Amino acid sequence: MAIEYRDVYKAFDVPVLTGVDLTVASGETLSIVGPSGTGKSVLLKTTIGLIRPDRGDVLVEGQSVVDASPAELQTIRRKVGYVFQNAALFDSMNVFENVSLGLTDEEIRSLGRDEVLRRVSEALEDVNLDAPLVLGKLPAELSGGMRKRVGVARAIVGRPEILLYDEPVTGLDPVNSAAVDRLISAIAERMHVTSIVVTHDIEGAMTISNRIALLEGGKLRFVGTPEEFRRSEEPLVRAFVDREAAFAAAAAKSEAGHEGMA
Amino acid sequence: MPRLLEPFAGALRGIGRVGDSVFRHAGGMAMLTSRTVTETLRGEVALRDFVDQAFAMGVQSLPLVMVTAILSGIVTSQQGGYQFTGSIPLYVLGSVVTSSVVLELGPVLTAVVVIGRVGARITAELGTMQVSEQIDALYSLGRDPVPVLAAPRILAGMLAMPALVAIANGVGVLAGMISAQATVGLGPESFLYGSRLFWHSYDLLYSLAKAFAFGFVIPLISVHMGLLTRGGAEGVGRSTTASVVFMIIAVLVSDALFPPLFLN
Repeated sequence: MAIEYRDVYKAFDVPVLTGVDLTVASGETLSIVGPSGTGKSVLLKTTIGLIRPDRGDVLVEGQSVVDASPAELQTIRRKVGYVFQNAALFDSMNVFENVSLGLTDEEIRSLGRDEVLRRVSEALEDVNLDAPLVLGKLPAELSGGMRKRVGVARAIVGRPEILLYDEPVTGLDPVNSAAVDRLISAIAERMHVTSIVVTHDIEGAMTISNRIALLEGGKLRFVGTPEEFRRSEEPLVRAFVDREAAFAAAAAKSEAGHEGMA
Repeated sequence: MPRLLEPFAGALRGIGRVGDSVFRHAGGMAMLTSRTVTETLRGEVALRDFVDQAFAMGVQSLPLVMVTAILSGIVTSQQGGYQFTGSIPLYVLGSVVTSSVVLELGPVLTAVVVIGRVGARITAELGTMQVSEQIDALYSLGRDPVPVLAAPRILAGMLAMPALVAIANGVGVLAGMISAQATVGLGPESFLYGSRLFWHSYDLLYSLAKAFAFGFVIPLISVHMGLLTRGGAEGVGRSTTASVVFMIIAVLVSDALFPPLFLN
């Protein structure tokens, strides 16, 4: 299912998006990177009408999100799974109840409790969580990484055709970040979904994406494959790649030092 | 602009800002009311959500409402007894306590308790859901927050408040009667004789109508303010404070409108 952003413009007190044009092909995984406050999450939220652009349009499989009626918008949203930055799980509900919210009321009624439980457990296993162990737990009883994975399970349980991830690895340690990155790739491959990932983690974006888009100052400054991104001479891209490379080199050096001491 | 007129321009700007804010809130609450009615009529409000909210607002508020009613009955009785002793027949105290509790103290003090206990909690709860993107998550899951979050609370308020006020009225009058015997020696028969002397059955209807209005206004404002919350934990604190202020003003203003509208 393809997504198209056409001249998307959005201002709050100041302009945030100033004319974004971007097409994400069906089945593609595209990462959006860029400095904080440049409108990456805003762009993601326009995809399902959580934020309405001041100008321009967003098309999901050719259907306008901006002009959609409430019923049409609901239909579009049911085809999309959205993973929020802090998972946005409902505090008063346990993991089973949270994840089953990803199914429609009609599905819950027609499937019956046993089948719903099976679907929820399957989604939890898909994100490498031990379903029997976590089903009855409240979000407050889970670690940050587990909460994010439950958020992913909720997004995929309804078998969406599009998955949107808003900073899925922010706040996670490198081991959990890598695990979530592997999860995103595995889900994209297994479910053949179109994925958009908003992230600050360039290395992760290089691994999971078919293409990377750099958003800065409300505009897209670069769109290309990870290889093109790595080789780009565009100063903004270089700033991101070099910083990431410097960080990776420092981490490798530190690790080598620890091994030497051992 | 001449310097002389600058203070007036500033005042006008201030009035304009307040007017704009009042109209925006009023518009938002009118929309919320209309959506609540529509979703309720369409059968989109889950009975379980409504029952949960009615339990939280009604049953769980009952102890505090009863304490407040008992104290207000005792105080009214004691102060009336102090004023009437030696000047007016003491059985009039029964009428004073009954009318004060049923017409005014029962509904208004119960509303104040519900604002503090329930209204503030609703704003803080929905505000936290708003700033932690849980409301966005509901939308993203193809679910509408009005039937899921707003309507059950508003409907529960309209059911729970009259029930609470009816209980507060009974408990308040009973406490006043016991207090009258203990402090000024007015027996229950004389107290009830005084109560019946100036009693109109319409008074109870008036009291419950007030409760119904407060039971609608309190959750409506608290839900509206909760859903408008922006800006993290600080924003939740700000909107909860503003919500409590708005709820108190709304209850007192509607309380002031009741006598000219319904007691003539």
